[in-house]
Amino acid sequence: MTQTAAIVGGGHTRWGDRQATWKDLAQEAGKAAFDDVPGVTPDDVEGLFVGAVQPERFAFQSHVAPLVAELLGVDVDSMIARTELACASGQAALRYAWLAIAAGQLDVALVIGVEKMNLPDDRTEEMQSSMTNVVDREFDGVNGLNAPSYFSLIAQRHMHEYGTTREQLAAVSEKNKTHAANNSYAQFQKAVDVDDVLESYPIAPPLNLLDCSGITDGAAALLLVSERKARELTDTAAYVTGSGQSCMASNSINNLPSLSAWPQATVAAEKAYEQAGIENPVDELDVAEIHDCFSISEIIEYEDLGWVEKGEGGRFIEEGRSALDGDIAVNPRGGLLGCGHPLGATGISQALEIYRQFTGDVPDARRVPDSPETGLIHNLSGSASVHSVMTLARDPQ
Amino acid sequence: MTDDTTPSRDTVAVPERIDFPRLLDFYNLQSEEETRIHEFYDRLREDSLSTTRCDECDALHFPPRIVCPECTGDDLSYTSLPHEGTLFAFSVVRGSAPIGMTDDVPFVMGIVDLEGVDVRLSARIDGAAYDDLSIGDRVTLKIVDIDGPRDEDRVFYRFEPVRSVSE
Repeated sequence: MTQTAAIVGGGHTRWGDRQATWKDLAQEAGKAAFDDVPGVTPDDVEGLFVGAVQPERFAFQSHVAPLVAELLGVDVDSMIARTELACASGQAALRYAWLAIAAGQLDVALVIGVEKMNLPDDRTEEMQSSMTNVVDREFDGVNGLNAPSYFSLIAQRHMHEYGTTREQLAAVSEKNKTHAANNSYAQFQKAVDVDDVLESYPIAPPLNLLDCSGITDGAAALLLVSERKARELTDTAAYVTGSGQSCMASNSINNLPSLSAWPQATVAAEKAYEQAGIENPVDELDVAEIHDCFSISEIIEYEDLGWVEKGEGGRFIEEGRSALDGDIAVNPRGGLLGCGHPLGATGISQALEIYRQFTGDVPDARRVPDSPETGLIHNLSGSASVHSVMTLARDPQ
Repeated sequence: MTDDTTPSRDTVAVPERIDFPRLLDFYNLQSEEETRIHEFYDRLREDSLSTTRCDECDALHFPPRIVCPECTGDDLSYTSLPHEGTLFAFSVVRGSAPIGMTDDVPFVMGIVDLEGVDVRLSARIDGAAYDDLSIGDRVTLKIVDIDGPRDEDRVFYRFEPVRSVSE
């Protein structure tokens, strides 16, 4: 790798059911990012990377990257791309930008994720169809395997095979939604406890409503620059130290390696750890933003990211090891459960949170103690057929 | 400089109803004109669940293919699959149904391990409520004819519990 890249700032829109268009959201996030980094203007940007999953379906608009370039006045002279990798599209955009910078093609990239998901109330089934087509529509989507129902199967198998309890799932929601109560852009800014989760509507048993993330309009943007440029701009940045992805030639139910285990997450994490020189992630990682699209997801990720023995994920939350003051502070942002999940924006928001935890620019109630220096982001996508992991550090290695 | 002349004004019509694209009902188009795995659907229409097997490396695929993902060969033959299996996992769809399924909620869906073969597929489970089912329950194939807006006779598979003789 000739050089690495670093996040030097970024910004958010408010996330939720927004009275705003896809283009409005892109402009809000772009402005927030440039306002946050006075040393970089749209004229400085050489590469533009846009994470967006379904503008064609939710907003009936394609070729969105040049739309963003025009809206934000970005005169791209090196690389422009839109990434689509379902729920990991934001991290995919960030990874493209990192690789372009590492390859010496450019020094300054704007990485932005935008999703407009909420449609008028009488169009709920149309919106749901645009989620169901993320799995193999012909053989899985057709059977009603939408996000909640699919992850309910995963939860049922994990509980069946490893004895994971309903209370352990609920504890994940309690932790993350409590963090989100102190996040001003989050969709769900209300703390809940385990009982609230257990008593919420059984949307797809064993999962209840409060085990699920939301349908969210929102955008997030960050500026990723070369290491050399980062040193010019700031003393505190989030340097990319490693990145891995895995997809095991499988996407539909019959071909996935497992429902209750995600070996793709292990492969992706091990690749990132190796690049970052991380030998013991639990000891060496201070903060992580991992893909809690449903409460069960976070529990499986504790295991398959290599933090705890397989089947022990439920105990990891129960024992407080993923709490703000635990072994690894997990999802201090509030996670997808608390912030909502505007598909293409989530990975970018997660990375921005790691940066903010490094700079300390977060409210006390959800600030990771003892000045965190190392972090990780993780996304799964679709039927959890792909896992993407990136490690970050406050200081260049 | 201002211009206080009133601009001209007209009304343009958009259709009262805009039909959805043809694939949005989730049952794929199944005829020989539309898909190269039409034989899967042809056999299903004749009450047989089947899939492809590679003539070169003997790999069994599901879903059916036109190229073998194990050896990239394209000499594939259709082979029958068992019509019985056991429930590997199941849940119920309540609120989040896509187009074409909202009238069916709540409905049970799950994953079925086919008997004696290494195929595990997702399917709707008819004839049972969520609370009546357990992992490992025996289920059997059911064929549904799709009554939709197209002339084509479309068909799909579901499963239903095997009723014990004593019931």
